[in-house]
Amino acid sequence: MPLSVFLLKLKGMMKMADMQNSNVEIMLKDIGMVYKTNDGRDVTALTGVSLDIQKGEFISLLGPSGCGKTTLLRIIADLLQPTSGEISIAGESPRDARLSKKYGIVFQSPVLYDWRTVKKNIMLPLEIMHIPKAEREDRAMKMLDIVGLTEFANHYPNQLSGGMQQRVGIARALAIQPQILLMDEPFSALDEFTKEKLHEDLLRIWAKTNKTIIFVTHNIQEAVFLSSRICVLSPHPGRLSAVIDVDLPRPRTMDIKDTPEFTAYVAKVRNSFEGI
Amino acid sequence: MSVLKRLSKSKYFNTVLWIVILIIVWEIGATVVAATKRSPENILPHLSGIIESVVSKDTINGSQTAVQMVLENAKATISRALVGFGIGTALGFVLALFMSRFKTVEKIAFPYLMIIQMIPILGMAPLIFAITQDISKSRIIIAAILTFYPVATNTLAGFKAVEKEKHELMISYAASKFQLYTKTMIPSCIPYFFTGLKISAPMAITASILVDTLQGGIGLGCLLSQALKGAMSRYVFWQIVFLSAFIGIFSFLLMGIIEYVLCPYKRKGNKQEE
Repeated sequence: MPLSVFLLKLKGMMKMADMQNSNVEIMLKDIGMVYKTNDGRDVTALTGVSLDIQKGEFISLLGPSGCGKTTLLRIIADLLQPTSGEISIAGESPRDARLSKKYGIVFQSPVLYDWRTVKKNIMLPLEIMHIPKAEREDRAMKMLDIVGLTEFANHYPNQLSGGMQQRVGIARALAIQPQILLMDEPFSALDEFTKEKLHEDLLRIWAKTNKTIIFVTHNIQEAVFLSSRICVLSPHPGRLSAVIDVDLPRPRTMDIKDTPEFTAYVAKVRNSFEGI
Repeated sequence: MSVLKRLSKSKYFNTVLWIVILIIVWEIGATVVAATKRSPENILPHLSGIIESVVSKDTINGSQTAVQMVLENAKATISRALVGFGIGTALGFVLALFMSRFKTVEKIAFPYLMIIQMIPILGMAPLIFAITQDISKSRIIIAAILTFYPVATNTLAGFKAVEKEKHELMISYAASKFQLYTKTMIPSCIPYFFTGLKISAPMAITASILVDTLQGGIGLGCLLSQALKGAMSRYVFWQIVFLSAFIGIFSFLLMGIIEYVLCPYKRKGNKQEE
Protein backbone atom coordinates (compact mmCIF):
# COMPACT_ATOMS: atom_id res chain seq x y z
CA MET A 1 0.00 0.00 0.00
CA PRO A 2 1.38 3.42 -0.89
CA LEU A 3 2.65 5.41 2.02
CA SER A 4 0.29 8.32 1.46
CA VAL A 5 -2.77 6.08 1.68
CA PHE A 6 -1.40 4.47 4.80
CA LEU A 7 -0.81 7.82 6.39
CA LEU A 8 -4.34 8.91 5.52
CA LYS A 9 -5.74 5.76 7.09
CA LEU A 10 -3.61 6.28 10.15
CA LYS A 11 -4.86 9.82 10.46
CA GLY A 12 -8.43 8.57 10.23
CA MET A 13 -7.80 5.96 12.90
CA MET A 14 -6.23 8.51 15.18
CA LYS A 15 -9.23 10.77 14.71
CA MET A 16 -11.54 7.89 15.66
CA ALA A 17 -9.45 7.16 18.73
CA ASP A 18 -9.49 10.79 19.63
CA MET A 19 -13.28 10.83 19.47
CA GLN A 20 -13.49 7.75 21.66
CA ASN A 21 -11.06 8.65 24.38
CA SER A 22 -13.51 11.46 24.43
CA ASN A 23 -13.15 15.01 25.08
CA VAL A 24 -16.87 14.69 24.57
CA GLU A 25 -18.69 16.19 27.53
CA ILE A 26 -22.26 16.01 26.33
CA MET A 27 -23.54 13.45 23.85
CA LEU A 28 -27.01 13.87 22.42
CA LYS A 29 -28.34 11.12 20.19
CA ASP A 30 -31.54 11.47 18.24
CA ILE A 31 -33.28 13.51 20.93
CA GLY A 32 -37.01 14.01 20.42
CA MET A 33 -39.58 15.75 22.54
CA VAL A 34 -43.32 15.46 21.98
CA TYR A 35 -45.76 17.39 24.12
CA LYS A 36 -49.41 16.57 24.57
CA THR A 37 -51.59 19.66 24.43
CA ASN A 38 -54.68 20.01 26.57
CA ASP A 39 -56.98 18.97 23.74
CA GLY A 40 -54.95 15.80 23.24
CA ARG A 41 -52.96 16.73 20.15
CA ASP A 42 -49.28 15.86 19.91
CA VAL A 43 -46.90 18.74 19.36
CA THR A 44 -43.35 17.93 18.32
CA ALA A 45 -41.05 20.37 20.07
CA LEU A 46 -37.85 18.66 19.03
CA THR A 47 -37.00 15.89 16.65
CA GLY A 48 -33.82 14.00 15.81
CA VAL A 49 -31.27 16.21 17.54
CA SER A 50 -27.84 14.58 17.59
CA LEU A 51 -24.84 16.50 18.80
CA ASP A 52 -21.54 15.95 20.54
CA ILE A 53 -20.29 18.78 22.67
CA GLN A 54 -16.61 18.85 23.59
CA LYS A 55 -15.23 19.78 26.98
CA GLY A 56 -14.63 23.49 27.24
CA GLU A 57 -16.64 24.43 24.17
CA PHE A 58 -18.80 27.51 23.99
CA ILE A 59 -21.91 26.32 22.21
CA SER A 60 -24.82 28.53 21.24
CA LEU A 61 -28.26 27.13 20.64
CA LEU A 62 -29.60 29.70 18.23
CA GLY A 63 -33.06 29.99 16.78
CA PRO A 64 -36.37 31.83 16.68
CA SER A 65 -39.00 31.26 19.36
CA GLY A 66 -40.64 27.86 19.08
CA CYS A 67 -37.54 26.13 17.73
CA GLY A 68 -37.08 24.13 20.92
CA LYS A 69 -33.75 25.65 21.99
CA THR A 70 -34.85 26.17 25.58
CA THR A 71 -36.44 22.72 25.59
CA LEU A 72 -33.11 21.25 24.54
CA LEU A 73 -31.30 23.13 27.28
CA ARG A 74 -33.80 21.91 29.85
CA ILE A 75 -33.40 18.34 28.62
CA ILE A 76 -29.63 18.59 29.14
CA ALA A 77 -30.23 20.11 32.60
CA ASP A 78 -32.51 17.21 33.54
CA LEU A 79 -35.40 19.58 34.07
CA LEU A 80 -37.25 17.78 31.25
CA GLN A 81 -37.16 14.18 30.09
CA PRO A 82 -36.97 13.69 26.35
CA THR A 83 -39.61 11.40 24.85
CA SER A 84 -37.04 9.73 22.65
CA GLY A 85 -33.31 9.51 22.16
CA GLU A 86 -30.30 9.16 24.38
CA ILE A 87 -28.25 11.65 26.28
CA SER A 88 -25.11 11.24 28.31
CA ILE A 89 -23.07 13.75 30.27
CA ALA A 90 -19.47 12.53 30.43
CA GLY A 91 -20.81 8.99 30.53
CA GLU A 92 -23.46 9.70 33.15
CA SER A 93 -27.19 10.16 32.81
CA PRO A 94 -28.39 13.78 33.08
CA ARG A 95 -30.00 12.88 36.40
CA ASP A 96 -26.73 11.64 37.87
CA ALA A 97 -24.95 14.66 36.46
CA ARG A 98 -27.50 16.92 38.13
CA LEU A 99 -27.24 15.09 41.45
CA SER A 100 -23.47 15.43 41.37
CA LYS A 101 -23.89 19.17 40.74
CA LYS A 102 -22.37 19.34 37.31
CA TYR A 103 -24.73 22.07 36.11
CA GLY A 104 -24.77 25.74 36.82
CA ILE A 105 -27.88 27.39 35.42
CA VAL A 106 -28.43 31.04 34.53
CA PHE A 107 -31.90 32.13 33.48
CA GLN A 108 -33.18 35.07 31.50
CA SER A 109 -34.17 36.82 34.72
CA PRO A 110 -31.50 36.79 37.43
CA VAL A 111 -33.85 34.98 39.89
CA LEU A 112 -32.07 36.37 42.90
CA TYR A 113 -33.33 36.02 46.46
CA ASP A 114 -34.48 39.48 47.56
CA TRP A 115 -33.97 38.78 51.22
CA ARG A 116 -30.36 37.70 50.84
CA THR A 117 -27.43 39.98 50.26
CA VAL A 118 -25.40 39.49 47.09
CA LYS A 119 -22.85 37.38 48.94
CA LYS A 120 -25.51 35.28 50.61
CA ASN A 121 -27.22 34.73 47.28
CA ILE A 122 -24.03 33.20 45.98
CA MET A 123 -23.67 31.15 49.15
CA LEU A 124 -27.18 29.69 48.84
CA PRO A 125 -26.30 26.66 46.66
CA LEU A 126 -23.29 26.03 48.88
CA GLU A 127 -25.52 25.99 51.97
CA ILE A 128 -27.68 23.42 50.27
CA MET A 129 -24.60 21.35 49.57
CA HIS A 130 -23.63 21.55 53.27
CA ILE A 131 -20.32 23.18 52.56
CA PRO A 132 -18.71 24.60 55.74
CA LYS A 133 -19.31 28.27 56.40
CA ALA A 134 -15.72 29.44 56.04
CA GLU A 135 -15.38 27.82 52.65
CA ARG A 136 -18.76 29.18 51.57
CA GLU A 137 -17.62 32.71 52.36
CA ASP A 138 -14.34 32.13 50.66
CA ARG A 139 -15.85 30.79 47.47
CA ALA A 140 -18.52 33.49 47.35
CA MET A 141 -15.88 36.20 47.58
CA LYS A 142 -13.85 34.52 44.85
CA MET A 143 -16.87 34.38 42.58
CA LEU A 144 -17.65 38.02 43.31
CA ASP A 145 -14.12 38.85 42.31
CA ILE A 146 -14.52 36.96 39.03
CA VAL A 147 -17.67 38.88 38.11
CA GLY A 148 -16.23 42.15 39.45
CA LEU A 149 -18.75 42.85 42.18
CA THR A 150 -16.60 42.55 45.30
CA GLU A 151 -17.62 45.93 46.64
CA PHE A 152 -21.30 45.03 46.41
CA ALA A 153 -21.06 41.86 48.53
CA ASN A 154 -23.32 43.22 51.24
CA HIS A 155 -25.83 44.96 49.00
CA TYR A 156 -29.30 43.56 48.44
CA PRO A 157 -30.28 42.59 44.89
CA ASN A 158 -32.84 45.39 44.59
CA GLN A 159 -30.01 47.88 45.03
CA LEU A 160 -28.22 46.59 41.93
CA SER A 161 -28.75 47.39 38.25
CA GLY A 162 -30.08 44.71 35.91
CA GLY A 163 -26.63 43.94 34.53
CA MET A 164 -25.14 43.59 37.99
CA GLN A 165 -27.98 41.33 39.06
CA GLN A 166 -27.34 39.06 36.10
CA ARG A 167 -23.65 38.95 37.03
CA VAL A 168 -24.62 37.83 40.53
CA GLY A 169 -26.68 35.11 38.84
CA ILE A 170 -23.61 34.00 36.90
CA ALA A 171 -21.46 34.07 40.05
CA ARG A 172 -24.03 31.95 41.86
CA ALA A 173 -24.05 29.42 39.01
CA LEU A 174 -20.24 29.24 39.06
CA ALA A 175 -20.07 28.93 42.86
CA ILE A 176 -20.95 25.25 42.85
CA GLN A 177 -17.99 24.68 40.52
CA PRO A 178 -20.05 23.05 37.80
CA GLN A 179 -18.47 21.52 34.72
CA ILE A 180 -21.23 22.81 32.53
CA LEU A 181 -22.75 26.27 32.53
CA LEU A 182 -26.25 26.36 31.05
CA MET A 183 -27.44 29.83 30.10
CA ASP A 184 -30.97 30.50 28.90
CA GLU A 185 -31.04 33.87 27.10
CA PRO A 186 -29.25 35.42 30.05
CA PHE A 187 -28.75 38.86 28.52
CA SER A 188 -31.90 39.30 26.46
CA ALA A 189 -33.56 41.56 29.03
CA LEU A 190 -30.59 43.93 29.23
CA ASP A 191 -29.93 47.06 27.22
CA GLU A 192 -27.45 46.92 24.34
CA PHE A 193 -24.55 48.61 26.16
CA THR A 194 -24.79 46.44 29.26
CA LYS A 195 -25.15 43.41 27.05
CA GLU A 196 -21.92 44.10 25.14
CA LYS A 197 -20.05 44.60 28.37
CA LEU A 198 -21.36 41.35 29.78
CA HIS A 199 -20.44 39.53 26.56
CA GLU A 200 -16.80 40.45 27.07
CA ASP A 201 -17.05 39.60 30.76
CA LEU A 202 -18.54 36.22 29.99
CA LEU A 203 -15.78 35.38 27.50
CA ARG A 204 -13.21 36.39 30.07
CA ILE A 205 -14.85 34.19 32.71
CA TRP A 206 -15.08 31.32 30.23
CA ALA A 207 -11.40 31.59 29.39
CA LYS A 208 -10.51 31.74 33.07
CA THR A 209 -12.70 28.88 34.31
CA ASN A 210 -12.61 26.56 31.33
CA LYS A 211 -16.27 25.56 31.62
CA THR A 212 -18.35 24.05 28.89
CA ILE A 213 -20.98 26.69 28.18
CA ILE A 214 -24.30 26.10 26.47
CA PHE A 215 -25.84 29.41 25.64
CA VAL A 216 -29.40 29.77 24.37
CA THR A 217 -30.09 32.88 22.33
CA HIS A 218 -32.15 34.28 19.47
CA ASN A 219 -29.59 36.92 18.65
CA ILE A 220 -27.30 36.04 15.71
CA GLN A 221 -24.59 38.63 16.49
CA GLU A 222 -24.49 37.50 20.09
CA ALA A 223 -24.08 33.88 19.06
CA VAL A 224 -21.31 34.65 16.55
CA PHE A 225 -19.42 36.87 18.96
CA LEU A 226 -19.47 34.41 21.85
CA SER A 227 -19.47 30.91 20.44
CA SER A 228 -16.94 28.44 19.30
CA ARG A 229 -19.79 26.57 17.65
CA ILE A 230 -23.32 27.63 16.80
CA CYS A 231 -26.13 25.11 16.63
CA VAL A 232 -28.87 26.57 14.49
CA LEU A 233 -32.31 25.27 15.34
CA SER A 234 -35.33 25.69 13.10
CA PRO A 235 -38.98 25.47 14.14
CA HIS A 236 -42.01 23.38 13.14
CA PRO A 237 -40.84 20.91 14.20
CA GLY A 238 -37.83 21.98 16.27
CA ARG A 239 -34.71 20.48 14.73
CA LEU A 240 -31.01 21.05 14.38
CA SER A 241 -30.67 22.55 10.91
CA ALA A 242 -27.00 23.52 10.91
CA VAL A 243 -23.88 23.44 13.04
CA ILE A 244 -21.42 26.22 12.27
CA ASP A 245 -17.89 26.51 13.65
CA VAL A 246 -16.89 30.05 14.42
CA ASP A 247 -13.17 30.40 13.85
CA LEU A 248 -12.76 34.00 14.86
CA PRO A 249 -9.59 34.73 16.82
CA ARG A 250 -9.62 34.91 20.59
CA PRO A 251 -9.61 36.74 22.87
CA ARG A 252 -12.45 38.54 21.15
CA THR A 253 -13.24 42.15 21.83
CA MET A 254 -15.99 44.43 20.63
CA ASP A 255 -13.84 45.56 17.66
CA ILE A 256 -14.21 42.18 16.06
CA LYS A 257 -17.80 43.04 15.24
CA ASP A 258 -16.58 45.52 12.63
CA THR A 259 -14.48 42.98 10.73
CA PRO A 260 -15.66 41.46 7.42
CA GLU A 261 -15.07 37.97 8.90
CA PHE A 262 -17.59 38.66 11.61
CA THR A 263 -20.14 39.97 9.11
CA ALA A 264 -19.56 36.93 6.92
CA TYR A 265 -20.30 34.60 9.82
CA VAL A 266 -23.45 36.52 10.64
CA ALA A 267 -24.59 36.16 7.04
CA LYS A 268 -23.70 32.49 6.96
CA VAL A 269 -25.68 31.80 10.11
CA ARG A 270 -28.64 33.81 8.88
CA ASN A 271 -28.73 31.88 5.62
CA SER A 272 -28.73 28.57 7.41
CA PHE A 273 -32.24 28.95 8.82
CA GLU A 274 -34.90 26.85 7.22
CA GLY A 275 -38.61 27.20 7.00
CA ILE A 276 -39.28 30.27 9.12
CA MET B 1 -47.99 80.16 49.23
CA SER B 2 -44.60 78.48 49.08
CA VAL B 3 -45.07 77.29 52.66
CA LEU B 4 -48.37 75.69 51.70
CA LYS B 5 -46.78 74.08 48.67
CA ARG B 6 -43.97 72.68 50.70
CA LEU B 7 -46.44 71.42 53.30
CA SER B 8 -48.54 69.66 50.69
CA LYS B 9 -45.50 67.73 49.57
CA SER B 10 -44.75 66.50 53.07
CA LYS B 11 -45.31 62.83 53.81
CA TYR B 12 -47.71 63.43 56.65
CA PHE B 13 -49.67 66.24 55.04
CA ASN B 14 -52.52 63.97 53.98
CA THR B 15 -52.87 62.35 57.39
CA VAL B 16 -52.87 65.68 59.21
CA LEU B 17 -55.34 67.14 56.74
CA TRP B 18 -57.72 64.24 57.30
CA ILE B 19 -57.52 64.51 61.07
CA VAL B 20 -58.17 68.26 60.94
CA ILE B 21 -61.18 67.80 58.65
CA LEU B 22 -62.58 65.05 60.87
CA ILE B 23 -62.23 67.22 63.97
CA ILE B 24 -63.94 70.15 62.27
CA VAL B 25 -66.85 68.01 61.02
CA TRP B 26 -67.16 66.33 64.42
CA GLU B 27 -67.27 69.66 66.25
CA ILE B 28 -69.84 71.13 63.85
CA GLY B 29 -71.98 68.02 64.39
CA ALA B 30 -71.55 68.20 68.16
CA THR B 31 -72.54 71.86 68.19
CA VAL B 32 -75.69 71.13 66.20
CA VAL B 33 -76.55 68.17 68.42
CA ALA B 34 -75.92 70.15 71.59
CA ALA B 35 -78.37 72.82 70.39
CA THR B 36 -81.16 70.41 69.48
CA LYS B 37 -81.03 67.32 71.76
CA ARG B 38 -81.61 66.97 75.47
CA SER B 39 -78.65 64.67 76.27
CA PRO B 40 -76.16 65.40 73.51
CA GLU B 41 -73.44 63.12 74.92
CA ASN B 42 -75.62 60.14 73.92
CA ILE B 43 -75.37 61.09 70.27
CA LEU B 44 -72.32 63.24 69.65
CA PRO B 45 -70.49 64.96 72.49
CA HIS B 46 -67.90 67.65 72.02
CA LEU B 47 -64.39 66.23 71.79
CA SER B 48 -63.46 68.45 74.73
CA GLY B 49 -65.99 66.55 76.81
CA ILE B 50 -64.41 63.23 75.94
CA ILE B 51 -60.93 64.48 76.71
CA GLU B 52 -62.22 65.89 79.99
CA SER B 53 -63.62 62.48 80.92
CA VAL B 54 -60.28 60.91 80.13
CA VAL B 55 -58.28 63.18 82.43
CA SER B 56 -60.99 63.34 85.10
CA LYS B 57 -60.04 61.96 88.51
CA ASP B 58 -63.65 61.17 89.52
CA THR B 59 -64.26 57.50 90.19
CA ILE B 60 -67.23 55.98 88.44
CA ASN B 61 -67.69 52.73 90.30
CA GLY B 62 -66.37 53.66 93.68
CA SER B 63 -62.76 52.66 93.11
CA GLN B 64 -61.72 53.33 89.49
CA THR B 65 -61.74 56.34 87.23
CA ALA B 66 -63.25 55.93 83.78
CA VAL B 67 -59.86 55.58 82.15
CA GLN B 68 -58.61 53.00 84.64
CA MET B 69 -61.72 50.96 84.04
CA VAL B 70 -61.49 51.18 80.27
CA LEU B 71 -57.81 50.25 80.26
CA GLU B 72 -58.33 47.28 82.56
CA ASN B 73 -61.03 45.94 80.29
CA ALA B 74 -58.95 46.70 77.21
CA LYS B 75 -56.16 44.57 78.63
CA ALA B 76 -58.50 41.58 78.91
CA THR B 77 -59.85 42.06 75.40
CA ILE B 78 -56.45 42.55 73.82
CA SER B 79 -54.94 39.52 75.51
CA ARG B 80 -57.82 37.33 74.28
CA ALA B 81 -57.52 38.80 70.79
CA LEU B 82 -53.78 38.16 70.91
CA VAL B 83 -54.16 34.52 71.90
CA GLY B 84 -56.81 33.98 69.22
CA PHE B 85 -54.68 35.81 66.68
CA GLY B 86 -51.67 33.67 67.57
CA ILE B 87 -53.58 30.41 67.26
CA GLY B 88 -55.26 31.48 64.01
CA THR B 89 -51.94 32.60 62.53
CA ALA B 90 -50.19 29.36 63.43
CA LEU B 91 -53.01 27.18 62.08
CA GLY B 92 -53.36 29.30 58.94
CA PHE B 93 -49.66 29.10 58.20
CA VAL B 94 -49.45 25.37 58.79
CA LEU B 95 -52.49 24.68 56.62
CA ALA B 96 -51.04 26.86 53.83
CA LEU B 97 -47.81 24.89 54.12
CA PHE B 98 -49.66 21.60 53.77
CA MET B 99 -51.77 22.89 50.89
CA SER B 100 -48.66 23.97 49.03
CA ARG B 101 -46.75 20.77 49.76
CA PHE B 102 -49.59 18.33 49.03
CA LYS B 103 -51.85 19.09 46.09
CA THR B 104 -54.52 16.77 47.50
CA VAL B 105 -54.78 18.77 50.70
CA GLU B 106 -55.26 21.92 48.67
CA LYS B 107 -57.92 20.30 46.51
CA ILE B 108 -59.81 19.08 49.55
CA ALA B 109 -59.39 22.08 51.83
CA PHE B 110 -59.25 25.19 49.68
CA PRO B 111 -62.84 25.36 48.35
CA TYR B 112 -64.18 24.97 51.87
CA LEU B 113 -61.93 27.64 53.26
CA MET B 114 -64.02 30.07 51.25
CA ILE B 115 -67.08 28.99 53.21
CA ILE B 116 -65.50 30.09 56.48
CA GLN B 117 -65.23 33.53 55.00
CA MET B 118 -68.80 33.54 53.68
CA ILE B 119 -70.69 32.57 56.81
CA PRO B 120 -71.02 35.28 59.46
CA ILE B 121 -68.67 33.88 62.07
CA LEU B 122 -69.74 36.42 64.64
CA GLY B 123 -73.27 35.10 64.33
CA MET B 124 -71.92 31.70 65.27
CA ALA B 125 -70.60 33.01 68.57
CA PRO B 126 -73.60 31.73 70.59
CA LEU B 127 -73.12 28.31 69.03
CA ILE B 128 -69.46 28.20 69.94
CA PHE B 129 -70.37 29.40 73.41
CA ALA B 130 -72.84 26.53 73.69
CA ILE B 131 -70.12 24.07 72.72
CA THR B 132 -67.29 25.41 74.85
CA GLN B 133 -69.45 26.49 77.80
CA ASP B 134 -66.90 29.20 78.38
CA ILE B 135 -67.31 32.72 77.06
CA SER B 136 -63.61 33.50 77.33
CA LYS B 137 -62.69 30.49 75.20
CA SER B 138 -65.40 31.35 72.68
CA ARG B 139 -63.95 34.84 72.30
CA ILE B 140 -60.51 33.38 71.61
CA ILE B 141 -61.88 30.83 69.15
CA ILE B 142 -63.79 33.42 67.16
CA ALA B 143 -60.72 35.65 66.96
CA ALA B 144 -58.71 32.63 65.82
CA ILE B 145 -61.20 31.67 63.10
CA LEU B 146 -61.27 35.19 61.73
CA THR B 147 -57.48 35.35 61.70
CA PHE B 148 -57.07 31.94 60.15
CA TYR B 149 -58.57 32.62 56.73
CA PRO B 150 -56.61 35.70 55.59
CA VAL B 151 -53.37 34.19 56.86
CA ALA B 152 -53.95 30.81 55.18
CA THR B 153 -55.01 32.22 51.79
CA ASN B 154 -52.36 34.92 51.62
CA THR B 155 -49.58 32.56 52.66
CA LEU B 156 -50.71 30.02 50.08
CA ALA B 157 -50.72 32.77 47.45
CA GLY B 158 -47.15 33.54 48.55
CA PHE B 159 -46.09 29.93 48.09
CA LYS B 160 -47.67 29.89 44.65
CA ALA B 161 -46.00 33.12 43.62
CA VAL B 162 -42.50 31.59 43.85
CA GLU B 163 -41.10 31.70 40.32
CA LYS B 164 -40.72 28.50 38.35
CA GLU B 165 -37.03 29.31 37.93
CA LYS B 166 -36.46 29.24 41.69
CA HIS B 167 -37.92 25.75 41.81
CA GLU B 168 -35.67 24.75 38.93
CA LEU B 169 -32.63 26.23 40.64
CA MET B 170 -33.38 24.17 43.73
CA ILE B 171 -33.79 21.09 41.52
CA SER B 172 -30.44 21.78 39.89
CA TYR B 173 -28.85 22.03 43.35
CA ALA B 174 -30.43 18.66 44.17
CA ALA B 175 -32.06 20.29 47.20
CA SER B 176 -34.29 18.23 49.48
CA LYS B 177 -37.95 19.15 49.96
CA PHE B 178 -37.05 20.42 53.40
CA GLN B 179 -34.36 22.69 51.94
CA LEU B 180 -36.74 23.83 49.24
CA TYR B 181 -39.12 25.08 51.94
CA THR B 182 -36.63 26.49 54.42
CA LYS B 183 -34.38 28.19 51.87
CA THR B 184 -36.84 29.25 49.20
CA MET B 185 -40.56 28.83 49.78
CA ILE B 186 -40.99 30.11 53.33
CA PRO B 187 -38.74 33.18 53.03
CA SER B 188 -40.43 34.01 49.70
CA CYS B 189 -43.90 34.01 51.18
CA ILE B 190 -43.10 36.28 54.14
CA PRO B 191 -44.41 39.48 52.50
CA TYR B 192 -47.64 37.67 51.61
CA PHE B 193 -47.86 36.25 55.11
CA PHE B 194 -47.63 39.78 56.49
CA THR B 195 -50.36 40.96 54.13
CA GLY B 196 -52.52 38.29 55.76
CA LEU B 197 -51.50 39.44 59.23
CA LYS B 198 -52.27 43.07 58.41
CA ILE B 199 -55.78 42.09 57.37
CA SER B 200 -56.44 39.78 60.26
CA ALA B 201 -54.92 41.71 63.19
CA PRO B 202 -57.65 44.41 63.29
CA MET B 203 -60.23 41.70 62.59
CA ALA B 204 -59.13 39.72 65.63
CA ILE B 205 -59.48 42.85 67.77
CA THR B 206 -62.91 43.70 66.34
CA ALA B 207 -64.08 40.13 66.80
CA SER B 208 -62.86 40.06 70.36
CA ILE B 209 -64.71 43.27 71.21
CA LEU B 210 -67.92 42.21 69.47
CA VAL B 211 -67.99 38.79 71.11
CA ASP B 212 -67.41 40.53 74.44
CA THR B 213 -70.84 42.13 74.12
CA LEU B 214 -72.45 38.69 74.08
CA GLN B 215 -71.92 38.06 77.79
CA GLY B 216 -70.85 39.88 80.86
CA GLY B 217 -67.50 39.66 82.56
CA ILE B 218 -64.47 41.72 81.83
CA GLY B 219 -63.71 43.07 78.39
CA LEU B 220 -64.08 46.22 76.31
CA GLY B 221 -67.24 44.92 74.65
CA CYS B 222 -68.90 44.14 77.99
CA LEU B 223 -68.11 47.60 79.25
CA LEU B 224 -69.28 49.07 75.97
CA SER B 225 -72.71 47.50 76.18
CA GLN B 226 -73.06 48.43 79.86
CA ALA B 227 -72.19 52.02 79.08
CA LEU B 228 -74.64 52.02 76.19
CA LYS B 229 -77.41 50.74 78.44
CA GLY B 230 -76.77 53.67 80.72
CA ALA B 231 -75.18 51.74 83.57
CA MET B 232 -72.41 54.28 83.74
CA SER B 233 -71.27 57.53 82.20
CA ARG B 234 -71.80 57.72 78.45
CA TYR B 235 -68.29 59.07 78.17
CA VAL B 236 -66.98 55.60 78.96
CA PHE B 237 -68.63 54.52 75.73
CA TRP B 238 -66.91 57.27 73.77
CA GLN B 239 -63.56 56.46 75.31
CA ILE B 240 -63.98 52.84 74.25
CA VAL B 241 -64.90 53.88 70.72
CA PHE B 242 -61.72 55.88 70.37
CA LEU B 243 -59.54 53.34 72.13
CA SER B 244 -60.77 50.42 69.99
CA ALA B 245 -60.23 52.42 66.83
CA PHE B 246 -56.73 53.16 68.03
CA ILE B 247 -56.02 49.51 68.92
CA GLY B 248 -57.29 48.35 65.53
CA ILE B 249 -55.14 50.82 63.62
CA PHE B 250 -52.18 50.19 65.89
CA SER B 251 -52.41 46.41 65.40
CA PHE B 252 -52.26 46.98 61.65
CA LEU B 253 -49.31 49.34 61.95
CA LEU B 254 -47.56 46.97 64.34
CA MET B 255 -47.61 44.21 61.71
CA GLY B 256 -46.04 46.66 59.26
CA ILE B 257 -43.36 47.54 61.79
CA ILE B 258 -42.56 43.89 62.48
CA GLU B 259 -42.29 43.25 58.76
CA TYR B 260 -40.04 46.29 58.39
CA VAL B 261 -37.73 44.97 61.09
CA LEU B 262 -37.68 41.41 59.76
CA CYS B 263 -37.16 42.35 56.12
CA PRO B 264 -34.24 44.75 55.91
CA TYR B 265 -33.98 44.23 52.16
CA LYS B 266 -37.27 46.03 51.64
CA ARG B 267 -36.05 49.37 52.85
CA LYS B 268 -32.90 49.70 50.76
CA GLY B 269 -34.00 51.16 47.48
CA ASN B 270 -31.55 53.31 45.52
CA LYS B 271 -30.45 51.35 42.47
CA GLN B 272 -26.96 51.32 41.04
CA GLU B 273 -26.42 52.64 37.55
CA GLU B 274 -24.65 50.53 34.95
